[in-house]
Amino acid sequence: MIFDATVLGRTLRVEVRRSGGHYHVSLDGEPHEVSVSDGVHGFTRLRIGARSHELGLEREANGYRVSFPGDSLSVELAPATRGGALPARRDHGPARVTAPMPGRIVRVLSQAGASVIAGQGLVVIEAMKMENELRAPRGGRLLELLVREGQAVEAGTLLAVVA
Amino acid sequence: MSQAAFSKLLVANRGEIAVRVIRACREMGIRSVAVFSEADVDALHVRLADEALPIGPAASRESYLRIDRVLQAARTSGAEAIHPGYGFLAENAEFARACEAAGIVFVGPRSETIALMGEKTSARREAVSAGVPVVPGTLETVADLDRIAREAATLGYPVMLKAAAGGGGKGLRLVGSADELASALARARSEAQGAFGDDSVYLEKAIERPRHVEIQVLADHHGNAVHLFERECTIQRRHQKLLEESPSPFLTPELRERMGALAMALVRRVGYVNAGTLEFLVDSERKPYFLEMNTRLQVEHPVTEMVTGVDLVKLQIRVAQGEALPLGQADLVQRGHAIECRVYAEDPDAGFLPSPGRITALRVPGGPGVRDDSGVYEGAEVQVHYDPLVSKLVVWAESRSDAISRMRRAITEYRLLGIRTTLPFFDRVLRDPAFVAGDFDTSFAQSLLARADDRPGRPAEVAAIAAAIRAFEERRRSLTHASAQAPSTWRAAGRREAHTARIGSRG
Repeated sequence: MIFDATVLGRTLRVEVRRSGGHYHVSLDGEPHEVSVSDGVHGFTRLRIGARSHELGLEREANGYRVSFPGDSLSVELAPATRGGALPARRDHGPARVTAPMPGRIVRVLSQAGASVIAGQGLVVIEAMKMENELRAPRGGRLLELLVREGQAVEAGTLLAVVA
Repeated sequence: MSQAAFSKLLVANRGEIAVRVIRACREMGIRSVAVFSEADVDALHVRLADEALPIGPAASRESYLRIDRVLQAARTSGAEAIHPGYGFLAENAEFARACEAAGIVFVGPRSETIALMGEKTSARREAVSAGVPVVPGTLETVADLDRIAREAATLGYPVMLKAAAGGGGKGLRLVGSADELASALARARSEAQGAFGDDSVYLEKAIERPRHVEIQVLADHHGNAVHLFERECTIQRRHQKLLEESPSPFLTPELRERMGALAMALVRRVGYVNAGTLEFLVDSERKPYFLEMNTRLQVEHPVTEMVTGVDLVKLQIRVAQGEALPLGQADLVQRGHAIECRVYAEDPDAGFLPSPGRITALRVPGGPGVRDDSGVYEGAEVQVHYDPLVSKLVVWAESRSDAISRMRRAITEYRLLGIRTTLPFFDRVLRDPAFVAGDFDTSFAQSLLARADDRPGRPAEVAAIAAAIRAFEERRRSLTHASAQAPSTWRAAGRREAHTARIGSRG
């Protein structure tokens, strides 16, 4: 199977084949022999050549979050397309901003119809004793802004749409 | 004042600080009583305490903040004393008074002291009377915009508007110029009203490039008082402390001694009893200004414990039992260096958004000089209802640079799945040349976050291989069980893609 794996803004072509207990992995054409033991304790041990890595793998919307000592990385996966790597998909189509946790909207920082830049604050939600600013995932026009100050929201409530 | 040792103590808190107090009780042979909300039935503090009593629904207003229910739990269990921890009822004078009225010992200062120091302008007036320098500003609350404008013009901009009932960075507004004043005042008032039910504010001159340094004090009922030196708390984000250390790399021995003496002057002036902390700003010319006093145990108390060898929680309990302090100022020295990192369930890659959820895997660091004051365990749920502090990772070493190396080592050992935490952020802090040199002010964290994230050596290729193999296996499994009910998670994930909101952006 061939995947396009996007990590830290870079897309790598990963081909995985299995033989016996091992994997033959080609990473942008470079071959690696990999063995995996799904250990106890939620962590996976990956041996690539002589080096061993203890990793945590957690499903995310478009792939996995891979944890390693001290940090983690988000890996987006897509079945490989023929030809070059996939374009970065997140810059196309409307982007929806949803409440990441239940809370209360304490401030609305923009309005429907306004043009916004990537990273601009849209609403401030108070949850877990802290105020958190939710920002525009990308630049464009704010098509919808669906909440008012003081409103209580559940996790997943649609707050705004940028297109 | 009782002189007898307590046989049972109720801990009116949750999370890591409840666990901390329960541990002290166990070592002292005191039976501990936990209280818990409906959301905390399975919490660590409930599991570790000798007894546990429910006090209401998940919302803290209906449980941990209910004075009547906490006192009822104390009476039901027969606890002679209540330790409030920090937050919740810890600085609530009404609660301390209710304990006193009920004949239950409140482990902390007298209720009058809590009230006196809790109102920030009265605390400032006490400090001035004790000869302690305060940040220039008003010593009374001010309501009238014209008067605030006149005071601000006299002080010189920028100025800070602060909630008189404040704390925790709420109701705080930096005002850069006169034309921002009216709207800033409205904002500060409404925030203060919302957070504390009191919209009165006062004015302080904004100190440029300040350090935030605090002095730990401890006093008994017999007139003995000591200070336990300083904690450096300058690494903050939006007025929330993130990393603390002791000693402060910024203090000279002379300034340390002076700040200790200032703290003792205020302690004597107000007849302070039990553990407390005086917060100071120190300007770039190393002039200290008293900010406020916290009349309770601080989150960051472990760094003081590590460098002084004193168990602050046990001493709090012994003082509350009526004992005299077992040590004098001459017995106290700072040895080595300690650093604390606050492990919050927050995602540093997404603007520190809270990241509640179940901790699916957990392995904590150990080895020489490492202490993990945690409120969770593998399988525990980090609740949305409360403060997102999961644990405090603390290290001690002979020198500051050894402590930095040790903390970085401990962070790599701290493995946790299921939620995101602030641990990766701390590694960035600890690698930063300005931090290593001890050269930073309260804007440090914000400016670090504004810079490109240069975390080197992140194994992007290893991560890609691991993710691809996992996807390969999941897809293969779903193909093998092709007749199975659900479509493969792989394909489902692909379809979900269009609906996914990305909050914030990767730094």
